[in-house]
Amino acid sequence: MTAVDPETRIPDPIDVDAAEEARLRAAAGLGPPAPVPGSEYAGFELIGVPDRPPQTEREREMYTLEEGEMLLNMGPQHPSTHGVMRLVVKLRGEVVTDLDPVLGYLHRGIEKLCENATYTTVLTYVDPMDYLASMHNEHAPAIAFEKLFGIQAPPRAEYIRALVVELNRVFSHGLMIGFLALDMGGLTPILYSFINRDDVVELLASISGQRMLFNFFRVGGVNWDVNDEFLSRLGTWHGTVLKSIGDNEKLITENEIFKGRTQGMGILSADQAISYGVTGPNLRASGVPFDVRKAHPYSIYDELEFDVVIQERGDVYARYLQRIAEIKQSLHLIDQIMDKMPHGPVQAQVPGIIRPKPGRAYGAVESPRGLYSVYAISDGGPTPYRFRMRDPSFISLQVMPLLMPGHLIADTMAIMASLDPVMGGVDK
Amino acid sequence: MDFSLLLGLGRFVLATTLLLLLTVPTAFVVIQLELKVIALMQLRLGPNRVGPRGLFQSTIHGFKVLAKEDTVPDQADRATFTLAPWMVYMAAAMSMLVIPFAPGFVAADFNIGVVYFFAILGLSVVGLLVAGWSSYNKYSLLGGLRSAAQMVSYEIPLTLSVVGVVILTGSLSFTQIVNHQLAHGWNVWWQLLGFPIFFIASTAEINRAPFDLVEADSEIVAGPFTEYSGMRFGFFFFAEYVALFVMSAILVTLFFGGYLAPWPFPAQLGGFIGTLYGLIWFFAKTYFFIFVAIWMRTTLPRIRVDQLMGVAWKVLLPLSLINLFGTAIAVVAFKL
Amino acid sequence: MRLIVERFPETARDLWTDEDTVEVQIARGSVVETLRTLRDDSQFGFFMLADAAAVDYGVGNQFEVVYHLYSDKHPAWLRVRVPVERANPRTPSVTGLWTGAMFHEREMYDMMGIVFEGNRDLRRIYMSPDYRSFPQRKDFLLPDDAADSSAAGVNPLERPETWDLTTFSRELTSSAATYPPLDTQVDVPAEAYPHGQESADKSRPA
Repeated sequence: MTAVDPETRIPDPIDVDAAEEARLRAAAGLGPPAPVPGSEYAGFELIGVPDRPPQTEREREMYTLEEGEMLLNMGPQHPSTHGVMRLVVKLRGEVVTDLDPVLGYLHRGIEKLCENATYTTVLTYVDPMDYLASMHNEHAPAIAFEKLFGIQAPPRAEYIRALVVELNRVFSHGLMIGFLALDMGGLTPILYSFINRDDVVELLASISGQRMLFNFFRVGGVNWDVNDEFLSRLGTWHGTVLKSIGDNEKLITENEIFKGRTQGMGILSADQAISYGVTGPNLRASGVPFDVRKAHPYSIYDELEFDVVIQERGDVYARYLQRIAEIKQSLHLIDQIMDKMPHGPVQAQVPGIIRPKPGRAYGAVESPRGLYSVYAISDGGPTPYRFRMRDPSFISLQVMPLLMPGHLIADTMAIMASLDPVMGGVDK
Repeated sequence: MDFSLLLGLGRFVLATTLLLLLTVPTAFVVIQLELKVIALMQLRLGPNRVGPRGLFQSTIHGFKVLAKEDTVPDQADRATFTLAPWMVYMAAAMSMLVIPFAPGFVAADFNIGVVYFFAILGLSVVGLLVAGWSSYNKYSLLGGLRSAAQMVSYEIPLTLSVVGVVILTGSLSFTQIVNHQLAHGWNVWWQLLGFPIFFIASTAEINRAPFDLVEADSEIVAGPFTEYSGMRFGFFFFAEYVALFVMSAILVTLFFGGYLAPWPFPAQLGGFIGTLYGLIWFFAKTYFFIFVAIWMRTTLPRIRVDQLMGVAWKVLLPLSLINLFGTAIAVVAFKL
Repeated sequence: MRLIVERFPETARDLWTDEDTVEVQIARGSVVETLRTLRDDSQFGFFMLADAAAVDYGVGNQFEVVYHLYSDKHPAWLRVRVPVERANPRTPSVTGLWTGAMFHEREMYDMMGIVFEGNRDLRRIYMSPDYRSFPQRKDFLLPDDAADSSAAGVNPLERPETWDLTTFSRELTSSAATYPPLDTQVDVPAEAYPHGQESADKSRPA
């Protein structure tokens, strides 16, 4: 097997063109091309175009091609990556031998942006991170900020928070089912998932005013109390949700083709999962019963009873079954919350311009993708000094170079859909 | 010159031209059916604005592909890039020549019609391979190779299951097969194993779900069709649906009596009424099977390429051989 | 909780506890051993790295790498803070302990410029590979405020020391400047443009 010289740098397309052009011009006897005015900044010739940095070990390993291998770019625009993500896949025929995810296409600098925003504004900035689980995106900073401020949300607010968070979890998992089927060619479950999601999203719109990026949480509570429309929609939805999820499930769960493509695929063992930092349904499907709601109860989760479901095998099918089981657990939780919700105010008394004492706080929630946490540092001013979000999809993507080699290209999509990454969260 | 020869030749040319012209409206109708049926199964409406109840949607699709920019990748092999859609389309269109639409209503009644049909249909493999290779795109290459592997593998169980029907009938001509079914009842009752094999293999042969990994748009964008746009893509697009129609028609002809009604009377209507009656039954049955194919597409996810090959070689091939030998033995033993 | 962490007297400093978090500061050199003990020792059992973050405390101060750990046996999160000097921000990598720290460290390198020794794949993860600035540093400012920035910007317009205003004005005001023909220029006859327009661009009056 011949190997490409590892000291060779991959030429940047710009370099190639310039080198090629220089060579052709030299061959033709011309000098270097005349500079086009307006294209040179003063001083550009002083520093030159920045170089690519030297290749790291892993890059060298990945981008060195042996005989019979080729690099395929499942590029940022692709019908099936969950957002804009680039996967450089090293293929031998149709078998994947290595994989390199390239991220950052949706990077919006939210962390830095939040350093200039007041604490209430931060809660609106974090919504579009993991846009399918907006309520969870807001819940974690709310917890962290409440620790910084030393205030406690009233119990009714906590119950409403838990309610909307569980609703969000239901439709997010429902969507994952649809995406998994879609990535395998089944065109119908995604539409059923979206019908289900539409019901929930209308429900949440009646309480928060928004269908997708709910600006609902506030430091010290939630923005609005439940209203009649919300309750009536919740009642209607509750009556039909099990059937509609069941319809969707029926198309997939016992389908021979689906099972043949997902069982035994992308097996993630428990040790590997912990080592790679995978959390959430992916971790529980590998057999580790870690759920932030039980491990480190926040909000009112210690008053509610639910099971931490785990699956044994850790393959794609197990991750799928895990999410279905979690939907059912969430519905059970919603029942309990509706039973137990106390009366009272929904927002704690917080002064208008809020300044916490200097300190550090860490708040973690269980988002549909895993452990979602916020580490906030305050320096006593009206904006956070450092606002760090740890997104579960970002960390879960690290297992892709572990799981995918050895499978076929078709399976890359199945495995990625089962990990359920949302690029908004990955790229912040 | 022999006058009847000229007449026959003229009739042939007329029939072939009519058929070629018919392929496009057929494709339009099948595409419209697919759009609407998939939509209704997915609990949504589908196209309902273009024309009365959206009926002109696929026609407009057809004209749209004419209006699109025709791009050829810079480093693609231009001649073969252009040739590939012609090959695929011609394969689908020419195979329509031997289908008996109604009594006496067949473009070319070859006495080796079955052999001709499967031979011509196999040319589409070449077209897809050429498309995949000449596009100078790794996705297309993968798609083209996958399609070659798939279609070639499934041709064997396909043809073997048809040989069972041929043994029963004793002739390779499609009209003879239909006439035999008139006398002896539909072949599906005689070929209870052959029919499912043919059904599965034909779905794989025309790259329809669940075997549509050639154009698996969640993995390899559009497979061999990635770099095609405008009318070139239009040829591929229509060829797929013409092939769907053709395969359903052949399924109906071989196993379900072609243009025959399910009941034995009226026995032999002559002339115009007979032709019309046959046509109605033929199209009803064909479109029923097209509906089943669309139903499968809506419901089932895709099979992976190695599982697909496994099914073809390890399951369908032995079954079709069993079918073949069983039919042969039964024919000899019971003097059918 | 506090009692247990006092097993590291020589390296741990500055304990602090909150309602659900215990915080400890350790020195840079002992990061790997300390975290390994925390992970493997049965009394601690911090098997999960929940978060690894970097904090910039300002231009005159240090960076800090903060690890959050979780253990089944203890009810609180453990926060391990490692100060890293700003002038030479290098610290050992924990990818040997948790493979999942890779993306965390790449992000910390990308955003703050902290170099993790021992990381096999320390390259930028969000910004493009040839980006030369570190966005989340406190002294990173956008090109509009480039004059105030002391962190290097990519574009020479972000670096005031590269501006040569004399060159600019000479070129712009000189009538002797010759513009070589662009080969991408399309020849459009003057009659094609009505009313003395000079180009097809209608975004501003001719």
